[in-house]
Amino acid sequence: MSHFEGSSHSFSIHLSHDEAEILINLVEQLLELLGEGDFFHHYDTTDPLAQMLAMPLEIDIPEDPVLRRLLPSAYADPESASDFRRYTEPAIRGMKQRTLRKVREELTGIVDKTEDSGVIDDLDPEIWLLALNDLRLALAVRLEISAESFEIFELLPDENPQKSIYAVYFWLGWLQENLLSLLNSPQGRETF
Amino acid sequence: MTKTVAQEELSIELMLNRPWVTIVWDDPVNLMSYVTYVFIKLFGVSPEKAHELMMKVHTEGRAVVSSGSREEMERDVQRLHEHGLWATLQREDKV
Repeated sequence: MSHFEGSSHSFSIHLSHDEAEILINLVEQLLELLGEGDFFHHYDTTDPLAQMLAMPLEIDIPEDPVLRRLLPSAYADPESASDFRRYTEPAIRGMKQRTLRKVREELTGIVDKTEDSGVIDDLDPEIWLLALNDLRLALAVRLEISAESFEIFELLPDENPQKSIYAVYFWLGWLQENLLSLLNSPQGRETF
Repeated sequence: MTKTVAQEELSIELMLNRPWVTIVWDDPVNLMSYVTYVFIKLFGVSPEKAHELMMKVHTEGRAVVSSGSREEMERDVQRLHEHGLWATLQREDKV
């Protein structure tokens, strides 16, 4: 069964081939939603002139509710929110994209092989924590997760497709909790 | 005790530049343990303090997690958004 292992020196994750495929599909879908193209590549640069030239005049609030959750408005006032978005959203998107790409790259090691399961060694627990969290946030928006969701989805018939998506969402939460417990253990805490 | 001119200027500076707060809002998705972890990581608070802040967000629907200049709060909000927490900033007197 999928799980993380780790101490202060190295972290790894054990995944079945199927689990790795589910994860990589989700990662790729979220990357696509975030705009995987190099549209925002200018912002990765540290050259201030390039950054200034690449600065858009305005960035609208994202239409997709998943993006609205991942890139929320920082101010109640629309004008301040728009200014904040213009200065920060490319950097936040870029950070999320880099995180997801790293996880995707590591998952291909399992997905591309024919073995039933695999291990990713020496992973960066911070990267995985952030990626798992963004994936959960994205799924939660699509599933319209609320405080009562656990009971609601429990009662759905097994053939309901929403129920299997909820199972994935629940599994991601379990994995994230598993990684957090390692990071919070006395040995794991040394890493930060 | 009489304040020096420099101290007077400092308190005026604080009055003008520090009335901003960062607020984290409750959501049904982020794990309690994750939110606690993020508070420790971003604000350097003790695990106990981080847990207390997280519980305040959870039970009251929101909590002020930092205060300072507008620029500092914008940086905090950006980092919280990078970590998937729902955060906003506003003037302190509106809270």
